[in-house]
Amino acid sequence: MSNGSSSQGITTRTYKSGSIVYFENDKSECIYILKSGRIILTSQKLETGEEIKEEVRPGEFFGVKSALGRYPREETAQVIKDSVVLVLTLADFERLILKNVNIVLKMLRIFSNQLRRIGRAVREVLGETSTINPEEELFKIGEYYYRAGRFNQARYAYNKYLDYYPNAKYSDLATKRIREIDSGQAESNIAPQPVMRKEVVSHTEELKDFTLDDDINTVPQKESVAQEIDDFFGTEDANNSEFDISPEDEKSEDISSMFYSAMSMYSQSEYEGALKLYKQIVNQKSLKNDAEKILFQKAHFEIGRTYFKMGQYNDAIEAFSLLMKKFPQSALNVNALYHLAMVYEVKKQFDKSKAYYQKVISLAAKEEIGKQAQRRLKNLESH
Amino acid sequence: MLLDDKLFDKFGVEYEPNDIIFCEFEPGNDFYFIQSGRVEIVKIINNREKTLDILSAGDVFGEMAILEEEPRSASAIAIEHVKLLRFRRENFDALLQGNPQLAYKLLVIFSKRIYDAKRRLMILLLDDPQLKIMDVMNMLAEQDPHLDVQEPITLRVTIQEIANWAGMQINDVQKLLTHLNKLGKIELFNDRVIVRNIRDFQRMVNSRRKSMYA
Repeated sequence: MSNGSSSQGITTRTYKSGSIVYFENDKSECIYILKSGRIILTSQKLETGEEIKEEVRPGEFFGVKSALGRYPREETAQVIKDSVVLVLTLADFERLILKNVNIVLKMLRIFSNQLRRIGRAVREVLGETSTINPEEELFKIGEYYYRAGRFNQARYAYNKYLDYYPNAKYSDLATKRIREIDSGQAESNIAPQPVMRKEVVSHTEELKDFTLDDDINTVPQKESVAQEIDDFFGTEDANNSEFDISPEDEKSEDISSMFYSAMSMYSQSEYEGALKLYKQIVNQKSLKNDAEKILFQKAHFEIGRTYFKMGQYNDAIEAFSLLMKKFPQSALNVNALYHLAMVYEVKKQFDKSKAYYQKVISLAAKEEIGKQAQRRLKNLESH
Repeated sequence: MLLDDKLFDKFGVEYEPNDIIFCEFEPGNDFYFIQSGRVEIVKIINNREKTLDILSAGDVFGEMAILEEEPRSASAIAIEHVKLLRFRRENFDALLQGNPQLAYKLLVIFSKRIYDAKRRLMILLLDDPQLKIMDVMNMLAEQDPHLDVQEPITLRVTIQEIANWAGMQINDVQKLLTHLNKLGKIELFNDRVIVRNIRDFQRMVNSRRKSMYA
């Protein structure tokens, strides 16, 4: 790389094939334009860790979003053929594009598409993807505010409904509701509800959902790995005041302290230490409460995962098998099956590996882990 | 980040407290730029109204309307008296041609929003609630580049906000946080959390993220 001539603060740099313009996670406020040569941007798909490669064409910008948003680079920019690159500071970039608004418009459309795609992925993970009928839903928004006694907001929704759907299923009802609101009759129809418009007092206790009602119990519980793991430490009695530690609590804190330390060690690649702690947990003779029982199960699972990481595949198989034998109902088992499939894949016992991936798919087809198993199975079959 | 008065004469609209600016499921044709006042973004989920965000001067909302007409995914409600600039999709190109500065600002806002959305997705994709919560704190720490991560750090956040970011029930978040509190990993207050060793949280999350689909 060498620094070349500069015009209006914009620098020209030449890069040899094989060099890197920037790495993923680098922080920098430079924006680049490829003048000539070839550059590849490599990133990972968030959902699957899959590698995505994208080629920059001459004349195109790269490194724009992370520089503008002032966040770390999300991709690595590698030169695959000797290249000439223009390097712009944020100020250069701003000056340049203020004279070329069409570039901004084009970028805005690309960004807006990306935002929509990520938004969809977020909704999918949150389970908010059920197909909806906007007509009916708009009416329901009106109904929600009507029942909550928030009549101005209800009227807005009913009016919009009538604007967009003048002769639809709920048009008559919407008209009737508006009349009820305007005549004051609505107020006497509606008994005061606990779902009154909440005061917005940001950053205080008030923001807690005090309208929390029984739908927390009526929401169908997801039967997923996530659900089970949802109780990591979680089932402990929430009524215990934070600093009131009974002897029983002290005991459970030992187990959860051990668990936390083990996780921390694992994350620092101190597998031996992590393993020792997880084993201490599974050797506990008595478990005092549900929180401990959950950690007890999880420790079985983590032992398998740690062995896998250490390359002790037979020990890993044994650990996952023990988990499933001792806790046949545990939702951790899907993940254990997935790990077993991975272990057999590494051991090159592909038939077994495939069988386990298939099992995962049959149990959790719609979840991320099921999709991932699908992908790996496909990959195995193509080789 | 205020735009000049001429724009307000042409595109300005005002709302009173509790006025709906647009409503969930209504087709979206406009996007808005807040001149003054606060706007609450809410969504009705399982028959309960949830606050997704509170926006103030300089923020943009409804920006997805720039691309195509789709039903709004949330409602925008004025919290107090608000002054907004309202832009229609049809004259969006013309508007930006005449106001390159606004175009540039939108580009910056979109860049940030894409990152925030991606970062949230990364949290949601974690397969463990405890790690999700830790990662919310990691994310908040990343947002303040001046924090010294070698020291205990203070994050201004409520349990409700953590629950929103993590896509979890507030009760579950409360339990997990109480537990981390007991373990001495965090100190919990109504309006803030002190994290003793954020690097430990970062390591744990990163290690899981790497091994999730190893």
